Amino acid sequence: MKTMSKKFAFTAVIGILSASLGGLSWATEKELVLGVNDALTGPGAVYGLPQSNAVKMAADEINAKGGIKAGADIYKLKVISNDDKANPTEATNSVRKLIDRDNVKYLLGFCCSGSTSAVASFIEKENVVMLVGNAAERAITAKGIPNLFRTRPPADFTGAAAGTFVAKRGAKNIAVIGSLDVSFYTQYLDAFEREINKAGGKIVAKETFGLKDRDMTPQLTKVRALNPDALLILGYVEPAAFVYRQATELGMKLPRYGFTSGSEEQFLRVATSEQMEGVWDLRPTELTVEALDANAKTYVANYTAKFGTAPSPSSPYAYDQVYVLKNAIESVGSADDTKKVIAAIRKLIVPKEAVMKYLPTAGAMFDVNGQAYTSNGAFQWQKGKWVYVSDLPSDTKTYSDYLRSLRN
Amino acid sequence: MIEIFQQSLNGLAIGAVYVLIALGLTVVFGILGIAHFAHGSVAMFGGYLTFLVMEKFGIPFFTAMGIAMVGGAALGLVIERLAYHPVQDAPHINAFIIALGLTMMMEGMNLLMFGADQVVIQTPYRGVFHIAGIAVAELRLIVILTACVLVGAITLLIAKTKTGKSIRAVAQNRQAAILMGVNVSMVSLVVFAISSALGVAAGALIGALLAIAPGVGEGLAVKGFAVLILGGLGSIPGAIAGGLILGVSEAMAAGFISSAYKDVIAFLVMILVLLFRPEGLLGKR
Repeated sequence: MKTMSKKFAFTAVIGILSASLGGLSWATEKELVLGVNDALTGPGAVYGLPQSNAVKMAADEINAKGGIKAGADIYKLKVISNDDKANPTEATNSVRKLIDRDNVKYLLGFCCSGSTSAVASFIEKENVVMLVGNAAERAITAKGIPNLFRTRPPADFTGAAAGTFVAKRGAKNIAVIGSLDVSFYTQYLDAFEREINKAGGKIVAKETFGLKDRDMTPQLTKVRALNPDALLILGYVEPAAFVYRQATELGMKLPRYGFTSGSEEQFLRVATSEQMEGVWDLRPTELTVEALDANAKTYVANYTAKFGTAPSPSSPYAYDQVYVLKNAIESVGSADDTKKVIAAIRKLIVPKEAVMKYLPTAGAMFDVNGQAYTSNGAFQWQKGKWVYVSDLPSDTKTYSDYLRSLRN
Repeated sequence: MIEIFQQSLNGLAIGAVYVLIALGLTVVFGILGIAHFAHGSVAMFGGYLTFLVMEKFGIPFFTAMGIAMVGGAALGLVIERLAYHPVQDAPHINAFIIALGLTMMMEGMNLLMFGADQVVIQTPYRGVFHIAGIAVAELRLIVILTACVLVGAITLLIAKTKTGKSIRAVAQNRQAAILMGVNVSMVSLVVFAISSALGVAAGALIGALLAIAPGVGEGLAVKGFAVLILGGLGSIPGAIAGGLILGVSEAMAAGFISSAYKDVIAFLVMILVLLFRPEGLLGKR
């Protein structure tokens, strides 16, 4: 009897201990997979590869600081990066693999509009959050897709501001040469043209080139004969660089305004600094040397050290996506319920780690369309460097309302 | 008027590159009856090699191009021995299939060796001259002159040397040439070496003028064959005339009609020539 009571007491104590231990919550370490979909090769790689690198860098930074602490869980980030070659079919396949095979809930990257629009067309039906970067096509956020957010402002938001700027500088007859079969460049141009026309000027020519074209001398020769007082170039970095180079080879000495983004290194692979001298880039302010604050300075230093090359101006759109997610997940306390994370992103203020300078709408980073806005700037190539010259005044509220109205 | 001259001059530079490509193709086709599709990839190989030699050793452009041409000639010898020599007496379709396979192999090799990124060969020729309102870019002028020099050298080789005589003999009648004691096997090697060297020069010049990237080689090979048909299969003067005509008509079409139809219009010109003169402009009836 005594032995049995001892055994019973012992078992009871073990039982009570186990029960109480079972009630305690441990901090469990989980893995959060971020799926990056971007152009890592091909003409879009000038935008996509730096974005993919930026996401990896942000993930490494967060992991080094202990991961994302959400409620009782700690999430360590793992990045899977897929090359969609800026091709709509490849992008669709790659995102499907991320969702179906890799069970990814958070999609980042998206540099290029063709591929991004293809994914946006079905993403509403998926239990994922899609964060778009450099892709500039307005329709991506015009549809009000609830689980899609974009850190980069639409092209025409910048186009209008650029038109006002160029008109103020006295240009009355402007020739345009661009990838005009790409709709976001046409949207930029439409907004640009409206402002030029308001100021009494006009567009005297609209010449096209393909994203892979390299010889634009026929178009430039045609345009030269019309004697314009400015040239507007709309295209990816590499063909634009050929345009700048060939314009000087044809003896054209007029002001050249572009909408291309792209780092100094990317342009210097094609044109010399002398050939680029005086070229303007009228684009979202992005990564700006003059306006660099601590975040941006650290970003440039870390990126250059990690990847051996300077970051492209648009790469922080993707870097900031990671911190948007981090802050949203921390406020929710979990990464498992995408609907809660989406709601948190909607209310999010601009994260303190963000590199780009966002203009909040009603205090939040993203407006009702899921669209964030950065200011627009005029940059000029001066002695081998892109120099920030001035702000391009832009009306965020008006644009946001206009974007909302397109949904109907 | 000035615009027409300017467009023509722009087109002549590209046309000069087409001439070099087409010459490489026409010597192989005219003498050996082989449609050497991989020629475009050989041109790209040459362009990449020129760039690498310049970057790694700081060697100036023309010296680097010369080195690459020697490399290209060596590659031509290897291609001839390994790919085409084994099927020289087999039905023509065999050589055709080998040519296609070789193209894919060379594209893959270029990708492996040189990567997928675009390569632009920077040269010191950045001057611009203005003559009667036409802007003459120094680089374009140099491309045209280089092509002239190479075409002249090849013409001299074929017309004035013993090797050239052997080549002409094989082109006229292979069997008779064998009977006359011509070393046909050697001729085949020499022809491929010449063809590849010319292709490499074209690749280097395109790399300096525009850029080298995956896909550019295929485009060049297709244009090369278009020039061949336009100028006349196996005709060297035809390749010269055809290349220049194609280059200029592309520039005119892009400048006066639309750049979107640049390639289409070039082939339209080719079809018109074939409708009215199927043997090509300077081919024999």
